[in-house]
Amino acid sequence: MSQQTEQARTYSENDSLPAITKNITQEKIARYAEASGDHNPLHIDPAFAATTQFAGTIAHGMLVLAYVSEMMTAAFGEAWRARGRLKIRFRGAARPGDTVTASGRVVRVEDGKTVCEVECRKTTGDVLISGEAEVRS
Amino acid sequence: MTVSLADLPKGHEFAETTLKLTPEWVAEYVRAAEDEAIGGVPGRAYPPLALAACSIRTLLEQAALPEGAIHVGQELNFSLNSDGEVTLVARARIASRRERQGWVLMGIDLKVATESGKELMSGRATITFPLSGEVSG
Repeated sequence: MSQQTEQARTYSENDSLPAITKNITQEKIARYAEASGDHNPLHIDPAFAATTQFAGTIAHGMLVLAYVSEMMTAAFGEAWRARGRLKIRFRGAARPGDTVTASGRVVRVEDGKTVCEVECRKTTGDVLISGEAEVRS
Repeated sequence: MTVSLADLPKGHEFAETTLKLTPEWVAEYVRAAEDEAIGGVPGRAYPPLALAACSIRTLLEQAALPEGAIHVGQELNFSLNSDGEVTLVARARIASRRERQGWVLMGIDLKVATESGKELMSGRATITFPLSGEVSG
């Protein structure tokens, strides 16, 4: 029900978006690999991943980005699907055991567009994703 | 044998691919991404990132990620309808390729449209990989 309330809400400058928090596990990474078809061993093969610069498996960037999209859906509902735009950079890696939070803030409302700063961080404060999301009215 | 993205030049156009967003696959994606917000959207809505993941999957069926590849950026524009589109057409093209200090930075344009040609999603995935990267997985 709270999601429906968020969809009906009109956002103004400096308003925060409803944050989304998820726990990353290897099981979830494996499930996403199956669904997405991205079987890069960096995500699903601990022995291989241990030999890389990451020294272990990491979550798919698109999985972590899905949490940002979920936040935008919770905030803007169908408008996000119908008239959404996203431009982000992946800045860090989420590992099994990490807790990550997608959050955002409206930075401007102009010309029929609501523009938000969005990011995803670990509880340690490390930024995983940062960028901008926009919904046109 | 699948070609590696590392072997493809700027301007390469991937074969047009038909996507089938079955309810079963969408449900699998929603479970994998733990998207609790999409249920609040009326109709047979699927998460917009599901479409992005699906288009990337079809891309990876045509060209393998080089070993050490990292997804560094993503741009997406959505124009999804309220109802689920079952059969869609995906196109992809290598829009940019630059080499610097032993690494390749590659931008891949992604487009998904209905069979009648209405564009539902466009965007660009930016990846980087070592210049001498071998195919992973």
